Amino acid sequence: MPTTFEELQARAAKRWDELTSGESAWIRVGGGTSGQAAGADAVLDAFKISVESTGVNANVSMVSARGLMYLEPQVDVLMPNGSRVFYGNVEPEEAQAIVEQHVKNGEPLIDRAFAYSGGDGSGVGNLPELSSLPMVALQQRIATRNFGETDPHDLLQYVANGGYQALNRALTEMTPEQIVDEVKAAGLRGRGGAAFPAGVKWSFLAPSTAPVKYVLCNCEEGDPGAFNDKGIIENDPHTLVEGLIINGYATRSTHGYIFIRTGHELPIESARKAIAAAYEAGLLGKNILGTDFSFEMEVSLTGDSYVAGEETALMEAIEGKRSTPRFKPPFPAAAGLWQKPTNINNVKTLAYVPEIVRNGSDWFKSIGTETTSGTAIVCLSGHITYPGMYEVPMGMTIRDVLEKIGGGVSEGERIKVLQAGGPLNGLLGEEAFDTMIDFDAMSAAGASIGSGGIIVGNETTNVVDLLRSLIAFNQFESCGKCFPCRLGNTHMLEILDRMCQNKAKSADLALLERVGTSMKAGSLCGHGQLGFNPIASALKYFGDEIQSCLAGEIAPGGVYGDGTMILPTRTRP
Amino acid sequence: MADGTTFKIDGQEVTAKPGQTILQAAMDQDIYIPYLCYYPKMKPQGSCRACMVEVEANGRTMTVASCTTPPMPDAEVATNTEAVQDLRKNVIELLMTEHPHGCLTCHRIELCGPQDICQRHVTVTDRCTICPKNERCELKDTVRLVELDLRTPLNYHRRDLPIHADDPFYDRDYNLCIVCSRCVRVCDEVRFDTALTLTSRSGVALVGTSHGTSLLESGCEFCGACVDVCPTGSLTERNYKWEKAVAEVTTVCTNCPVGCQMIAEVNKFGKVVRFKGDLAGAANNGQACMTGKFGYEYTNDSARLKRPYIREGGILRKATWDEALERIKQGLSERVASELAVITSPRGSNEDQYTAAKFASSVLKTPNIDSALNSNSALLSRLEQRLGAGAATNPIWDLENSKSLLVVAGNPTEEQNVLAVPAKKAVREGAKLVVIDSRETELTRYATEWLRPKPGSEALLIAGISRAILDEALENKDFVGSRIENGEELKQSLWTFDLAKVSRDTGIEDAQIRRAARIFAETEAGAILLGNDGLNAAATEHLVDAVVDLAAITGNIGKVSGGIFPLFQGANTIGARDMGATPGENGLDIAGMIAGMSTGAVKAALVMADGVSGHSPTLTSLPSALEKLEFLVVSAALDSEITHHADVVLPAATYAEQNSTVTNVERRVQMLRVTAKTRHEEKTGWETIAAIGNAMGGSGFDYSSSSEVFAEIAGNIPNYTGMSHEMLQSGGVQWPATSADNDSSVLFADSSSLVTVVTLDYDELAQSIENTALTFAPGRVLSQPERDVVVRKPADLNYVDREQLVQIHPDDAKSASLNEGDMIQVKTDDDHVLVRGRAVFESPQAGLVGSTTLFGELATRMHELDAADWSPQMPGLGYSAVILESAPVEQEAGAAAD
Repeated sequence: MPTTFEELQARAAKRWDELTSGESAWIRVGGGTSGQAAGADAVLDAFKISVESTGVNANVSMVSARGLMYLEPQVDVLMPNGSRVFYGNVEPEEAQAIVEQHVKNGEPLIDRAFAYSGGDGSGVGNLPELSSLPMVALQQRIATRNFGETDPHDLLQYVANGGYQALNRALTEMTPEQIVDEVKAAGLRGRGGAAFPAGVKWSFLAPSTAPVKYVLCNCEEGDPGAFNDKGIIENDPHTLVEGLIINGYATRSTHGYIFIRTGHELPIESARKAIAAAYEAGLLGKNILGTDFSFEMEVSLTGDSYVAGEETALMEAIEGKRSTPRFKPPFPAAAGLWQKPTNINNVKTLAYVPEIVRNGSDWFKSIGTETTSGTAIVCLSGHITYPGMYEVPMGMTIRDVLEKIGGGVSEGERIKVLQAGGPLNGLLGEEAFDTMIDFDAMSAAGASIGSGGIIVGNETTNVVDLLRSLIAFNQFESCGKCFPCRLGNTHMLEILDRMCQNKAKSADLALLERVGTSMKAGSLCGHGQLGFNPIASALKYFGDEIQSCLAGEIAPGGVYGDGTMILPTRTRP
Repeated sequence: MADGTTFKIDGQEVTAKPGQTILQAAMDQDIYIPYLCYYPKMKPQGSCRACMVEVEANGRTMTVASCTTPPMPDAEVATNTEAVQDLRKNVIELLMTEHPHGCLTCHRIELCGPQDICQRHVTVTDRCTICPKNERCELKDTVRLVELDLRTPLNYHRRDLPIHADDPFYDRDYNLCIVCSRCVRVCDEVRFDTALTLTSRSGVALVGTSHGTSLLESGCEFCGACVDVCPTGSLTERNYKWEKAVAEVTTVCTNCPVGCQMIAEVNKFGKVVRFKGDLAGAANNGQACMTGKFGYEYTNDSARLKRPYIREGGILRKATWDEALERIKQGLSERVASELAVITSPRGSNEDQYTAAKFASSVLKTPNIDSALNSNSALLSRLEQRLGAGAATNPIWDLENSKSLLVVAGNPTEEQNVLAVPAKKAVREGAKLVVIDSRETELTRYATEWLRPKPGSEALLIAGISRAILDEALENKDFVGSRIENGEELKQSLWTFDLAKVSRDTGIEDAQIRRAARIFAETEAGAILLGNDGLNAAATEHLVDAVVDLAAITGNIGKVSGGIFPLFQGANTIGARDMGATPGENGLDIAGMIAGMSTGAVKAALVMADGVSGHSPTLTSLPSALEKLEFLVVSAALDSEITHHADVVLPAATYAEQNSTVTNVERRVQMLRVTAKTRHEEKTGWETIAAIGNAMGGSGFDYSSSSEVFAEIAGNIPNYTGMSHEMLQSGGVQWPATSADNDSSVLFADSSSLVTVVTLDYDELAQSIENTALTFAPGRVLSQPERDVVVRKPADLNYVDREQLVQIHPDDAKSASLNEGDMIQVKTDDDHVLVRGRAVFESPQAGLVGSTTLFGELATRMHELDAADWSPQMPGLGYSAVILESAPVEQEAGAAAD
C-alpha cells in the first residue's frame, strides 16, 4: 500500500506507461453491459487465445464501453508506435485475423475498422480519425472521460488519467466550505431529475455537528431507457467513488453508501471492486491520504423496486424496511438514513465533482447554458440509427442529438415521438425537437431531462399504446402506500386499456384528467405527483391522435393494444 | 419547553403543542378533519390523503397532508376550500373502487336488513348491512362528510379474497380492507410483534401476514390491537361479530393485576358485546391482551347462575336467598375459628375484600382468610417489608423510558401482558434487557443477555451481579452515600459473594454475570420486573432481598423509569392485601387452607369463586380439598369444579354488574362500572357477604351501596384516606394519594427518604438451589421463524403441528442413556408425561430440561375451551421435577390395521 498520493501516482504512471508506450501492443475490448451483452466476453477470450497462439507481444484487456453501443462489441488495437485503430461489431472469429495481420504484421484491417487515432496517420487508409466522427466530435466528455480508455477495475489506470487528484487537492488544499462554495459556483444541478443545485443541498448538511452523517449515492435507475448511472458505475466507478468521498469531506460526513438496485449486477460488482481498491490504496477508511479525514463507504442494495429510487424510500430500503417514501418534513438533511443527517445525490451529479474540483468551477460553468452548466449524459434508444450513451454540453438541441449524433431514423422515415426523462416525464412531438437540452427549457416543453434517457419512436409508434406502456410501468411500480397513486394509476391504466381496445368513450378523457389531477395534488411522493405527466404531454403534442382514438377510429399505423407493450413492462392485476 | 406554534385553522386561532402536527392540533380543538390512516398514539403515516388541507405560510400556498405536517408559525390552514373538498372527494372516490360501497351513501344504510329487496340493486355481498362494522365504520363517516356521489364512472374491483376465519378469536376479511395499514403499524410500533405486514405493492398492495401464513405462526399474541384500530369491517372479533352496541361503558379488566382500562360496548339487551382497550387508560394506554380483549364474555353466558342453590339429598336444589342464608348460618355458626376459612376472589373488588375481611374477623372470628391467587404472597409481603409497599414502586408506563430492564423469574408478556408493552417499547428504542430465567419466554427473544441459571439460584445470581457492580465500582455512589441507611454493611456482605463460586453454583459464566452487571449499572434508569415463578417462600424472600439491594446500590429506587415491578397473579391481589383479606395472626394462607381442608383441620369455608378455577396452575388441588369439607358456601357466577362440592351456591354478579374499585400493580385504584344491571338474583361480593354477615348477627354490614363501603375503606385504610368513588370517576388514583392531583406515582421520590437494605448471606441464598436431578423448564414464544411449522386445519380451526424438540444437556443424556436425536419423553414422578419429542443438546445446564412451544398453540387451546370463563385457565410455565426416558415407539394407525 502506498503511503502517499505521490507514490500512488508514480505507480500509476508506471503502469500506464507499460500499457501504452512499452514494447507491447494493447488490445482493448469494450466491456460494460452493452459490450458484454453483445458478446464481448467471447471476443476477449478469442483475442487472448489468438495472441497466445500467434506469439505476438500484446496485452489484452477488457476496458470500459465507449458508449457507441451500435458498434458493440468494440475492439481497438494500440500499437507500440502510438497508432490506434478501432474495430466495431467484432465477431470472435475475426480475432485471429486482427491479431495476425494488424498486431503481428502491422497491417490494420481497414475495411473492418471504423476509425483511427494517434500515430502518424499512415497505414490507416481512408479511415476517419475518431474525434472527427460526429457522435464523438459533438460530445464533451467529463463524467464519461475515461469511457473506452481504461480498465474500470484498475485503480492505477484511473489514477494515471488524473484520478484522485481532485480528492488529494480537496483534502490537502481546501476546506470543506471551499468545496461546497466551489460546487455552488460551478452551478452543478442535481442530475437525478429534480435539478436542485447540488452545492446548496450540500450546504444543508455541512453545518450539522452530528457525530454520524451520511452521504448517499442513488443508482436505483429504474427508468426504462436510462442507463447512464449504471454506465458510469460499470465503466468508471472510481470517478463516482472519488466524487462521493469529496462529497463526504465537503459535508463532514462519516459514511457513504452507493445504493444500487438489485439486478444491476455489473454495476454492483464494479462498485464493490472499486471501493475495495480504494480502501486498499488508503483512499477510504481511517485518515485518508494521511489527513484527519476518515470516511467509510459501502454498496447497499434494494429489492426490485422502482420507487426505491425516491430518496426517502431509498433510506427505508437501506434500513432494511419496505421501500416506501417517507413524508417530509423532516427532510433528509435533518433526519435521513437511520434518522441521521443525510445528503443524497445521483451518480451523475457526483461523477462531475472530481473534475469540478480539479479544473475549477469557472471551467465547469463555461460549459452548457446560463441556467444549467455542464453536460447532459443522453441515453439514446428505440427507433434510432446509432443508439448509445453520449455526453453532450447542455444547450444542444434535441434535433442535433437525434440527427447528428443519433443518425436519425432510417431513410424515408420520420421520428414521431420521444419519451424523454423516464416514464414519469413527458412525451415530445416533432414541434418540440428544437428545444435545447437544458433543465428549464425541457420542462417548459413539457418533458424533462430526468434520468437522461430518450426513447425514440418512429411513425409506426402508436401514442396511445405507448402511453399505456408507460402507465402500466408506473402502475406496476407504485409502492402502494398512498391512496391516490396506488389506486389512480390502476384506474388510468384501465382507461388506457379501454382506449386501446377501442371501447373508450369521450367522457373517459375527462375522467383521466380528474384521476390525474388528484394524483398530482394528493400523492405522497413524486411517483404519484408526476404520474399524469405522460398523458398531459401527450395531450399537448398528440391531442388529435388521442381524440381520434376516443372517437373509435382505428389507430394510425396499426391496431391498438395487441397485448404487447412497447416497453418491457410488467403489469399487476 | 417551548410554548408551541400558534396558527389559524379556518380562521380560528390554534396553538399546537411542540411536536404536534396540524391534524393533532385540530383534534385537540375539536376541529374535524377527516382521516383514515392516522390513529391517536401512533406515528403518522400519510397514506390515505383524506386529511389534506391548504396551508398558506410565508406567501406560499401548499396542499399538504395535515397528519404529517407540523404547523408553521402564523400559517393559515384551510380545511374546506373548494380545491381541498374536490381533492378529498376524488381520493375517496378512488378508494371506493376497491371497497364495497353500494350502501355507503344510501340513507337506509343502517335501516335495511341483509336480505331486504334493494331498489338500488346493490348486490347482497356488497351491502354495508352485512358488514360487521356497519354502525361503527369510520370509512362511512368520511364518505358522508365528503358527500360523495357514488355513481362513479370508475370500475369497482371486488377483491374476492377468502375470509380468514380459521385463526382464534378474530376474523380477517381483506375484501373490506382499505390498506390504511393501521393494523400493521399498531402490531409493529405499539405491540412490537410484527405479526402483520404489508404485502405486495402497487394496486394490489394489501395487509396480512408475511407469506399469508396463519396467525398461529406469524407471531400474533392475539392482543386484538389490530382489531381495535381497524376503520373498516376487515378485522372483527368473532364473537358478537354483528352485534350493534347501544352504549359504551368505561371499566377495568379484571383478569390480571395490570388493570387495563377498557371500554365495554353494550348491546340493547345489556350484554357486553365488545371489550377494547381505552386510549385514555393510564395503566394500558389503549392496549389489552388476549384474555382482556377476548375473555370478557363469560358475563353474558346463558349458564350464569341465576339464583341460590342448596344441597339436599346430595343434589343442589333451587332456593331463595333467605333459605340459603339460613342454611349458611347453620353451617358456619358455632364452629371453632381454626376450622373456618374464607377464600376471596382474585377479581373481587376492594369493597368485596374489605367486607370479607370484616366478616372473617368480626363474625367468623377466624384469621383464615386469603385471596385465591395470593399463593405467591411472599413476593408482595417481603417487598412490603422492605419498601413499605407490596406493589410496584413506579407507574407501568414509566417503563417505556427505562434504559435497562432486568426481568427475573417471571413471564410478563403472558401473565401481565400490557405491563410488558412499555418494556418492549423501551427495548425497541435501545434499552438493554437482561432476562434471568431458565425458561425461554417471549422476552428472551429481545434480551441483550439471557441468563439461564439453575432453578432456585436466582437470588444468588442477583447477589453476584451486585458483587460484580461493586468490583468494578459501578455502584451509584451518591445514592449509596446519602439514601441507603446501612450501605456499608451491605457492601461488606457482598464481598463474601465470590464470583467464581457464584458462577459455579448458578451455572452462569462469570463473564456473563459481569456483562449483566455492567448493563444494569451503567445505564441511566434501570427497572426490575420481579417474579418468583418456581420459587418457594424462603427463596422468594431471598430473591426480593437481593433485588431490592441491587436496585438500591444502582440508585434505581425513587427514580423515574427505575423501580421494581412485582409480577404476580390476581387482578385485585393488591386490593385484597390492602383491605386485610390476608391471613391474620396464625391464620392460614391459601396454600395452608387447601392443605388444612385436605387434612380435615379446616371444616367449613366460604369461597368467592369468580375467577377461581381448579385449572389455575396454583389451584389444581383446590377442588379435591373442597370435597373434604363439612360445609362449603360458594358464591360464583358460573357452575364449575368449585361449586360441585358446595352445600350452598350463591349467584354472583360479575365485573360488568357492579360499581366498585380494584387496585392494580402500580397501586392505581380504578373504578369498575355497571354495564348492565343483574337480571336475576345475583349479588356482588360485598352484597353477598353483607347479607351473610347480617344473617349471622354481625354488625356493620348495613351498607346501601358500594360507595358507602368505599367511604368506610377510606376512613379505615390509611393508603386510601381521602379517596371516594366520586374522585375516581375521571380515572384512577395511585395510593398513597389524598387527592386526585397528589402525585404519588413514584415511591421514594422524596430525596430525603431512606432505603433500608439487608445484608445477604451466601449460604442462606444458596440453600434455595433446587437439588432435584432434573428440572423441566417449559418455554413458550410467539414465533420461531427458524423452525418449520405446519398449520393444519382438520375442521374449522387452524392447529399448529410441528415437531417437538426437547432441549437436554449432554451430561443428562448420558446418565439416561439417550442420544441426540432420540425420541424421548419428559415425565413427572407420578408418571405424567409433560412432553414428548426429539432430543437436542441445547440445554445450557446439566439438570435443566427445556421445551418451547408456540403461543399460537395455546391460543387455539384457549379458544376451544368449553369453559365460558377461560382466562383463569391459562396455563403458566411451571417448573417440574422430571425424569427422561425413551419415548415408546408409536404404532402407526395404518400399520396396526394391517
